[in-house]
Amino acid sequence: MRVRRVRERGFVLIAMSVSMFLLLAVIGLAFDLGRVYIARNEAQVFTDAAAMTAAARLDGTPTGLTTAREDVAHLPIRWNLGTEDFRGVVIEFSADQSHWEKDPKDTAAIRFVRVIAPDNNLEITFLRAVGGPQSLKVPAYAVATVNPVRLVE
Amino acid sequence: MKRPSERGHAMLELAVCAAVMVSFLAGTFQFGYTFYIYNQLVTAVGNGGRYAAQRSFRAGSPWDIERGNAAIRNMVVYGDPQPVTGAAPVVPNLKPEQVEVRWVTAGQGAPKAIDVFIHGYTLNAVFHAFTFEGRPSVEFPYVGRYAPSETEP
Repeated sequence: MRVRRVRERGFVLIAMSVSMFLLLAVIGLAFDLGRVYIARNEAQVFTDAAAMTAAARLDGTPTGLTTAREDVAHLPIRWNLGTEDFRGVVIEFSADQSHWEKDPKDTAAIRFVRVIAPDNNLEITFLRAVGGPQSLKVPAYAVATVNPVRLVE
Repeated sequence: MKRPSERGHAMLELAVCAAVMVSFLAGTFQFGYTFYIYNQLVTAVGNGGRYAAQRSFRAGSPWDIERGNAAIRNMVVYGDPQPVTGAAPVVPNLKPEQVEVRWVTAGQGAPKAIDVFIHGYTLNAVFHAFTFEGRPSVEFPYVGRYAPSETEP
């Protein structure tokens, strides 16, 4: 009996398209998530250093708070594989870790500093090609206290 | 009309597809591994910076300062200021001499901050080698005890 063969033209094109789509997704995961993890780590190291820097400047005076802000602004730590400066860094002060203020009135009671790096917006390269987000925020924060200066969170 | 022979087409298609896919997979591995190592370097440098920031700065002689710097380098490379003989580095092939330690002084020898960064570290990612020069880097404020006349134990 003669068996009639089904035409297979175009099969490789379809198989290749599906495989490439899946491969792109895997590459996207490796590339973009790798960068996200690095950015998160860089942001955490920055906020740790910034919180310690700010806490080291606190001396119970308004000048101490100003110096803390200035020194954090001049920290030479960058993110996104060491290529970008941190922007929009928030520095808050507290006497008891429950109520945080950016510009506290009673500076003599201030013992804690919280530094938040909220605006680390990482542009996504590959994952967005397969339906992922355009960008991801990678925030970080750290709290330090004075005498002796140490990280508390 | 006689159809042209299709023998060998499958092999040719497989060869073309395999070449594309292997190069995609190689790229995925290369970026993934490089990011993984860079992330470990960020962590190691951050840990070394934090350790240096809180360590007693003994400056009895240049030898004591260098000994302190060696402990900081060991902290970055081995995660331990005094590693046991034959200890494995936290990042493959990272050596203490590839860690730069620079003190920022505030005059009269008292340290104000500490810079720790990687220089000349080459990562062999199988298909390509990357060299990290000057990054990752951190700067922490010095919040430890300044002991200008003490010697390292």
